[in-house]
Amino acid sequence: MAENLLDALKRIVVEFDIDNAEATARRAIEQGVNPLKAAQSLTEGIRLVGDRFGTGELFLPDLVCASEVVKNALPVITSEIEKQGKTLKSLGKVVIGTVFGDIHSIGKSMVATLLFASGFEIVDLGINVKGEEFLKAVKEYNPDIVAMSALLTTTIMEQKNVIDGLEKENLRSKVKVIVGGSPINQEFAESIGADGYGSTAPEGVRVVKSLLGIK
Amino acid sequence: MRRGFRRNFEPIKVLSDSQIEAIHTATLDVLEKTGVKFESEKALKLLEKNGCVVDYDERVARIPGFLVEECIRKTPSSFTVRARNPKNDLRIGGNTLYFMSSAGARYTDVETGEVRQATQEENDHGVLISDALETVDLFPSYTPYFEIEGVPPVMLCPMSLASRIRFTSKASRGAQATDTFIFETQLAQAVGQGLLGNCEAAAPLSYPEDAINAAFEYTKAGFPIYIAAGSVMGGTAPVTVAGATISNNAELLAVVVLIQLMRPGTGICGNDFVTPMDMESGSFLFGSLGVNLHQMAFNQLWTQVYKIPTVNTGSAFSNSKLIDYQSGYEKTHTAMASALSGANVIVLHGGVTAELAYNPILSIINDDVANIIGRTVEGFEVNDETMAIELIEAVGPVPGTFLNKTHTRVNWKKEYFVPKVADRLSYPEWLQQGKKSTIDRAKERMEEIIATHRPDPVTAQQDRDIEKILEDARNHYRKRGLL
Repeated sequence: MAENLLDALKRIVVEFDIDNAEATARRAIEQGVNPLKAAQSLTEGIRLVGDRFGTGELFLPDLVCASEVVKNALPVITSEIEKQGKTLKSLGKVVIGTVFGDIHSIGKSMVATLLFASGFEIVDLGINVKGEEFLKAVKEYNPDIVAMSALLTTTIMEQKNVIDGLEKENLRSKVKVIVGGSPINQEFAESIGADGYGSTAPEGVRVVKSLLGIK
Repeated sequence: MRRGFRRNFEPIKVLSDSQIEAIHTATLDVLEKTGVKFESEKALKLLEKNGCVVDYDERVARIPGFLVEECIRKTPSSFTVRARNPKNDLRIGGNTLYFMSSAGARYTDVETGEVRQATQEENDHGVLISDALETVDLFPSYTPYFEIEGVPPVMLCPMSLASRIRFTSKASRGAQATDTFIFETQLAQAVGQGLLGNCEAAAPLSYPEDAINAAFEYTKAGFPIYIAAGSVMGGTAPVTVAGATISNNAELLAVVVLIQLMRPGTGICGNDFVTPMDMESGSFLFGSLGVNLHQMAFNQLWTQVYKIPTVNTGSAFSNSKLIDYQSGYEKTHTAMASALSGANVIVLHGGVTAELAYNPILSIINDDVANIIGRTVEGFEVNDETMAIELIEAVGPVPGTFLNKTHTRVNWKKEYFVPKVADRLSYPEWLQQGKKSTIDRAKERMEEIIATHRPDPVTAQQDRDIEKILEDARNHYRKRGLL
């Protein structure tokens, strides 16, 4: 029975079953499923979806809907984990956002979803994120990675402003910074002092892993 | 039966009711007063017996209006073309849109635009590639190349049909060159398929003997007939769209009469292949304004008034020598005007350099174009699911998004057409993947088709029958001193 519910949690993700997400998680917890294993099932599901997105077999709405399933199912499970005094292991923590002046969310959300699928903990600051909000989040969450997106040539320099801010506040050495977005390239990333750049969302995940020495 | 595309909205009308009346009555007037020349005693006798006034010296039949209108009524509004594999049968007419491959005399080099004779293998590959293309429903006569290295001109048509039988199980049109229709009918019958017969006028207002003999042979076999009168506006037709519409109409309706007298109820599709003349060089202006307007008037008149299915050939070629912007836009705007005005068959894939050349890479690009045009005339569904009223309310203003909704995930695939070769990569991906052009991508698809696609096979017996019929054709042409 418990095994079936773990399968069910994985299945709702790969079948994009948003409507049954929360109910399935609740049922698993009510029936005494190990919440750490339950979380692992969701992660396995979204990793499968992420892989199939990377190969072109699945598309953006699939990826985002699968992550929506996890978003709906996870709170019930994490609160049980906390209740049992356990902690959910992650590969690392990422603070991510689209920089100030820029309201383009899709690329940023793709990277966040794929990082989440790969086992990272994500703090998504959203769009139009001011420099001081990035700095505040770094202080508050103590992340391993700060990831910034910009789609407009008029906003890409905002990525540099955030990096300069990290320097000023002596936070720069505590985090790795990655940047992305249509007008960005490797050369630009280096010129503003970023640690990494990915031209696509799957490449962003590879860059994060390599910066943190994860194979 | 191939589905093709179904037009789900009324075709565009370029003519008012009174303009239609004016063109129709003027056409009847031309047929009654001027008449049409038929280079066939047998045809003239048949016409005379049925009420036409025939001048045997001039070989001209003057056709009374009542007979024309009677024969229009006898022509069915749709008909079937049987393919070698019944799943590829066509029902031409009504609100169905099919695409026919184009063709060209020679093979064109994609990079240089230089043309040369195609080999038999290139011809076979050309057919094989179109067999794999979703939107090629029908093959014309002598496709894709009008010339094949080492094949004597008189044997080109039968050899070309043999290649089409072996490398595709889709439907084909027969040819009308000297006696080829005898052997093409036999070839089709040997593999249990039909043909779309062929009868093409020589504008202005004349039918050569071969065309009439072909119509007799193909109707005897019970095949439907594709009729055409390729004229050039300012040369073999008036330079004005209205005038060329009347002369083309007279040419085609004259042979509608003849075919219905040969075998009443024979399915007919009228092809519009009228192009303005280039007043600098005298050549045809494919993909030009006059082609669009002429075809739109023709489609309105034939599909809506006469209820006879139409074929449009204006998008078959481009004057561009290259697979480039010009061949792209000329073919696309012409084919789109045809589709929106109600054409039943559009000739599109692969032809460039006027009629001089063909390249399968262009056919592969045109496959995407045909899909988009076909899907356009199918329109879109308006119902509770597609209107998404509750969803719009639920998502609300920013930061609401539709991307994470099941409605998006489920419906985008139904609503979108994803082209196979168009470059839609992001700029960095495009750089990383070697800056490939659409032509590069089409070339890759072509190589994959050649390596992996296999047509429905003919049996060993059918293959022997094909060889025997081709040998009979060679003997026949030798006896006639043509080979």
